[in-house]
Amino acid sequence: MSLIAFVGRRLMGAAVLLVVLSAAIFAATAVLPGDAVSAVAGMDASDAQRAEVRAELGLDRPVAERYADWVAGAVRGDLGRGFVGERPVTDVLATRLPNSLLLAGLTLAVTAPLAALLGLWTGLRGGGADRFVSTAAQVLAAVPEFVIAALLVAVLAVWLELLPRVSVIPLGGTPLDVPHALILPVLTLSAVGLAVATRLLRVSAADVAATPYIEAARLNGVRGVRLAVRHILPNAAGPAVQALTLTTGALVGSAVVVENVFDYPGIGRELQLAVAARDIPMVQGIATALAGVMLLVLLTGDICARLLDARKGHQR
Amino acid sequence: MTTVLTPWARRTRTGGLGTPRRHRPPLLIGAGTLLVLLFALAGPLVAPHSPTAQLAAPFQQPDGRFLLGTDVLGRDVGSRVLSGGRTIVLTALAGTAAAGVVGITAGVLAALASRRLGDLLLRCVDALAVLPALLVVLVLAAGFPGSHTALVASVALATVPFSTRVLRAAADTVLSSGYVEAALARGDTRWAVLRHDVLPNIAGPALTDTALRLVASLHLTATAGFLGLGPGGATPDWGRMVSENVPGATLAATPFLAPALLLVLLSVCVGLLAGRLADTVGRGAG
Repeated sequence: MSLIAFVGRRLMGAAVLLVVLSAAIFAATAVLPGDAVSAVAGMDASDAQRAEVRAELGLDRPVAERYADWVAGAVRGDLGRGFVGERPVTDVLATRLPNSLLLAGLTLAVTAPLAALLGLWTGLRGGGADRFVSTAAQVLAAVPEFVIAALLVAVLAVWLELLPRVSVIPLGGTPLDVPHALILPVLTLSAVGLAVATRLLRVSAADVAATPYIEAARLNGVRGVRLAVRHILPNAAGPAVQALTLTTGALVGSAVVVENVFDYPGIGRELQLAVAARDIPMVQGIATALAGVMLLVLLTGDICARLLDARKGHQR
Repeated sequence: MTTVLTPWARRTRTGGLGTPRRHRPPLLIGAGTLLVLLFALAGPLVAPHSPTAQLAAPFQQPDGRFLLGTDVLGRDVGSRVLSGGRTIVLTALAGTAAAGVVGITAGVLAALASRRLGDLLLRCVDALAVLPALLVVLVLAAGFPGSHTALVASVALATVPFSTRVLRAAADTVLSSGYVEAALARGDTRWAVLRHDVLPNIAGPALTDTALRLVASLHLTATAGFLGLGPGGATPDWGRMVSENVPGATLAATPFLAPALLLVLLSVCVGLLAGRLADTVGRGAG
């Protein structure tokens, strides 16, 4: 199968999955329409007012019909307007998603090389250092992100007074205007990413190290850095890409939490605010967009793994 | 001979995964886990003040009356810390139990069913796994605001896909083993085979998997509390205490540090215990 056919097939699969997931998200948020009404009309609205609001928001129609409308709009690039402040959902996505992607990109730039080094080192050497790093990663992965963030705040922002506690971004500016506001969020996310990625990469490195091919290289006297770079790294690249894909996936969830801790103006913060305000169209739009991002990450990972595979085939 | 040699060679030459570990029972971690669980579950009984009443000015320093000071609304931090762990632990346990039952059932069914049906079931489960766990929790919290059942269900839903996959693989291995074939050949019913051969033999993987799910559930439940999901209001919750009191971090440290450190203790102890369990079961099986 050529690469284009492969990508095409995977894209189709991802599109179908996105439709299924959006339907699930829509169903989960739309089964209790009464609550969306009280969020907009207020808790002590009269029955007549509630009925009026319900008709105004189109909530008196069946769920399937509303979903069909929503999909028709979504295809044209219109995800509707939020209940709160009447903001178009696509506008919010367009302004907030880049900020979150910046956060994720910086985190990956910090995490990937460090995790690759740690993973290779511990996977190959074993012994006390391996046990220590593995246990540390296990501990770090178990602790919720907001607790790590709170502890970092306690040490770096309150005790040592080195960094701002919240990310105050000037109106209309981007987070890049205030780089020091990015440090704490990126640091927290990197800790989480490192914990996930190191463990996965360590397993890949150890698996490759146990193959007869590496055994032969060892017996031929290849060792140390040369062994790691020339023989193990190329063979561990496929699993490593998978590991980084999984890490990126984990970061999407963690970013929601971290953005909330530091009031960082990203898409996760908007999602949490929308959930708190029962702003259903906003929740549906953002959740579907995040599902789309996840599918895209997985797809990219698959394509990279395939390319690496193809290259290996060439060499043989 | 090679099968005997390879693991040995791996162990001595490369270290890596085959490195022998000291077989020490995890007494310290076990004791820590028990202690923090006891603290969380029995804490509300010994709280000296009401955890929801405003008793003094906000962010008072610790003194004789309030051992850990007061929080953002002038409530006793000590009493709130004592009362705030129960919800997290119970929700996580309920979510894990639900996920365990669904995961084992789905995994075994997928293994028992025809290959195509099993694959289809896994496909559905994988579709769910695309969503980050927290997204599932947030979406369900938006659909069912303030509902405790929805929180438990979403925690279970978010952790189920992985369990199903692991347990299907485990059940598949057992089902293709000689003794199951023998049992079926001598005329045992599928149900009898399931009860006497399959379930006892996947108990190890199921236990390990449940322990790992518990770690994930605790993580999610605490985060849900932090984000203000689930039953809201003034109910004390370690996660929510951190989010309430971090803005006042410069005024008083104990109101957010105490619950944060307890969450660290809880998740680290349970996490290490689950990891140790996975190692032990993995070694026993391998």
